[in-house]
Amino acid sequence: MNETIVSMQGINKSFPGVKALDNVHFELRSGEVMALLGENGAGKSTLMKILSGVYTRDSGTVEIFGKECGDLNTKQAQALGVAIIHQELNMCPHLTVAENMFLGREKHKGFLVDTKAMEAEAGRILSDLKIDISPSEMVGNLPVSKQQMVEIAKALSINAKILIMDEPTSALTAKEIDELFRIIKRLRADGCGIVYISHRLEELQHIVDRVTIMRDGQYITSMDFAGTPMDTIITHMVGREIKEKFPRVECQKGEKIFEVKNLNAGKMVRDINFEVYAGEIVGFAGLMGAGRTETTRAIFGVDPKTSGELIVDGKTVTVNSPADAIKAGIVLAPEDRKKDGLCTKLPIRENIALPNLDILCNKLGVVSKKKEDAMCDKAVIDLHIKTPNVEVDAGSLSGGNQQKVVVGKWLARDSRVVIFDEPTRGIDVAAKVEIYNLMNQLKQQGVAVMFVSSEMPEVMGIADRIIVMCDGRITGEVMARETTQAEILTLATQFENKFAEEAV
Amino acid sequence: MSTLNDNKKKKIAIRGLGAAMVGFAGWVILLLVFGLIDPNILKITNILNLLRSMSKYLLVGVGQSVILITGNIDLSIGSVVAMSAMVSSTLMSNGTPVIVALLVALAACLAFGVVNGVLVGKFKLPPFIATLGTMFCARGVAYMANGNRNTNAISTGLGKEVGDKFQDFFYYGKTLGVYNAFWIAFIIFAVVFFIMAKTRTGRHIYAIGSNVEAAKLSGVNVFTTTTKAYLISAFCSFVVGLILAGQAGMGNMEAGNSYEMYGVAAGVIGGVSPLGGTGLLLGTLAGAGVWQTLENGLGIIGAPVGIQRIVIGLIVTGAVLIDVVFRQGAGAKKKAKK
Repeated sequence: MNETIVSMQGINKSFPGVKALDNVHFELRSGEVMALLGENGAGKSTLMKILSGVYTRDSGTVEIFGKECGDLNTKQAQALGVAIIHQELNMCPHLTVAENMFLGREKHKGFLVDTKAMEAEAGRILSDLKIDISPSEMVGNLPVSKQQMVEIAKALSINAKILIMDEPTSALTAKEIDELFRIIKRLRADGCGIVYISHRLEELQHIVDRVTIMRDGQYITSMDFAGTPMDTIITHMVGREIKEKFPRVECQKGEKIFEVKNLNAGKMVRDINFEVYAGEIVGFAGLMGAGRTETTRAIFGVDPKTSGELIVDGKTVTVNSPADAIKAGIVLAPEDRKKDGLCTKLPIRENIALPNLDILCNKLGVVSKKKEDAMCDKAVIDLHIKTPNVEVDAGSLSGGNQQKVVVGKWLARDSRVVIFDEPTRGIDVAAKVEIYNLMNQLKQQGVAVMFVSSEMPEVMGIADRIIVMCDGRITGEVMARETTQAEILTLATQFENKFAEEAV
Repeated sequence: MSTLNDNKKKKIAIRGLGAAMVGFAGWVILLLVFGLIDPNILKITNILNLLRSMSKYLLVGVGQSVILITGNIDLSIGSVVAMSAMVSSTLMSNGTPVIVALLVALAACLAFGVVNGVLVGKFKLPPFIATLGTMFCARGVAYMANGNRNTNAISTGLGKEVGDKFQDFFYYGKTLGVYNAFWIAFIIFAVVFFIMAKTRTGRHIYAIGSNVEAAKLSGVNVFTTTTKAYLISAFCSFVVGLILAGQAGMGNMEAGNSYEMYGVAAGVIGGVSPLGGTGLLLGTLAGAGVWQTLENGLGIIGAPVGIQRIVIGLIVTGAVLIDVVFRQGAGAKKKAKK
């Protein structure tokens, strides 16, 4: 135990126009969890892709279990015990757990696939990890957290000794994270080396032994996690001190801008009532699946409402589609930017222009190039979007910059209500602060800001007032300054007493 | 922190321009190669003939490309072409005034465009299935238009003078030394090109092809945008039907067979991605040119029809293969930057 199992020295890797890795070192010992930290674009993923054989390095040495391995391909890396668990899970939803675990290396009995043997083997591995999943279950029926565990089990079934986890907790609830950590600790005890990539710094303390920090494609430092203050880590990551993780501006609370009355839409949005005033940010807290995203989608007209009234600046507005909502001055920066937020194949310019074509077009519907360029240049500068020019595909930007484009396209027009759904998920500390600053700017301009977030410190740090949801209902409202995490959590777990309901 | 330099200004990369230029280069090379084999191919009369024949492929190419860019497909193009030719010719050969006949045929074609748009855009039917259905229906209407027979000559109903005028206008006549058929196709191409490049509708069409969810959440009405795209396609088919009627002087029930696939080929050779979201209609112009030049050139040098088909098949598949290989290379680089 504690021997060095991975040693990468002086790794260089360039892509046309970008030096992705510049003389990077990395070491992993058996029986440890190593956090690999850095902002988006720091080169973490590239480094790990070299380790797992997806990319070949330009120069430098990679040793796995003390053996120099030259140019790896994915198969060879796998054979050496390297397994990577991606942020986006790679599973075939229509196949069973066992079939997924043995995909590509099915057990055979003569010409036939030996389902029984595969399920037995899968069951053995799962129960060994104390994961309660039936090997014959369809993967598509499992929640994301369980799918992830199947992926881990799959990695173990091929005898992986080096596990790379890329943002494994981003889609998990607190309870599921505990379960994941239990498994990680178990693997560590078994002598696996685990590389843990995450932007959620607060969770590191539960799990991490050492950290390696990268910035702009360079190795910065590595150290034991215990005894290192979080501020030091952040400073290393961003290369400068972040004075305030949660910048807050004080504003006079103004008049009522937005009001939602008796909003109902399906099971997850039930009798929602709230108001937003000028000069405040209203946070929406709750557990995963509390109905917050559904509420924003109903307000924005994406999903149909069964009832409800929306009032903007004292006037009732009818919203049956996003187009109606935009016209009424309500806009939504959605949760899942790849799926809902961006046309990744289109340039930044067209993404920013897309919802604003009504402003940019003349009466015949012809886009004014001049106005469009002006709008896009302003957005790029205001939001500090890092890009060579606005003609670059939106999909080629880093996560944080993609998020800025999603937000930027809405800020280019004068809106009355701006809804941010998990705007900081999966982006780095510095980009987070920039997003917070944007929200603060809107707040100062007297725009009603709604801020949905699952990260408690963030809601408490940025919002003025917090509405807590559980199970599709609003279960409470607290002032950010006066509340505690415990209070919010209590409200967020106030599930309906189903039994009492039935009795009535 | 802003990495926006002052020199960022106007590094305009028109998207898909590269693929379109490759298409044009291919077209020119093809012409030169054929010219070396048989100099007659480069004679002005042949070039004019080539441009005239190309008009049909250009129009179905434009229609299909717009649909491909939305991420859908329109299998009904060939049948709508036939319907246009049959409905208009049937009416004209029975003495209906030209304008009326054309308006009726236009209405029929656009009706199919709307149906396609409703099925795909509103009810979210897979476009392959939805337009497969309308493909059969439109062909059925073409058959029924004149009671399951090709039509009589247009001139039998309208007299030789009007009949000739119709044929000249759509096919045999020339303006500025070039056949009208080409001008008609080219003008429609130019208008649709403008719509796609410069207008709101065009932006919406690209957006739903790139990411329909994101487009919807940006306030794009997916149903009307899809329908507009299918209407453009139906209109192009309508005009192709008239060109064919002008060429033959009558309506043929089997007109336009496989034209939807010729449309796909023209678009794809010119770099329009069948996966939606990318492609430039300029490429389709090149694609239609390549297609017609192959047909024309191989015909003149006396290659058997079978060889013609094989060559065309290889070129279509080859064009996409190159595109995919290129994209995979580019894709890997992009991912690496993260």
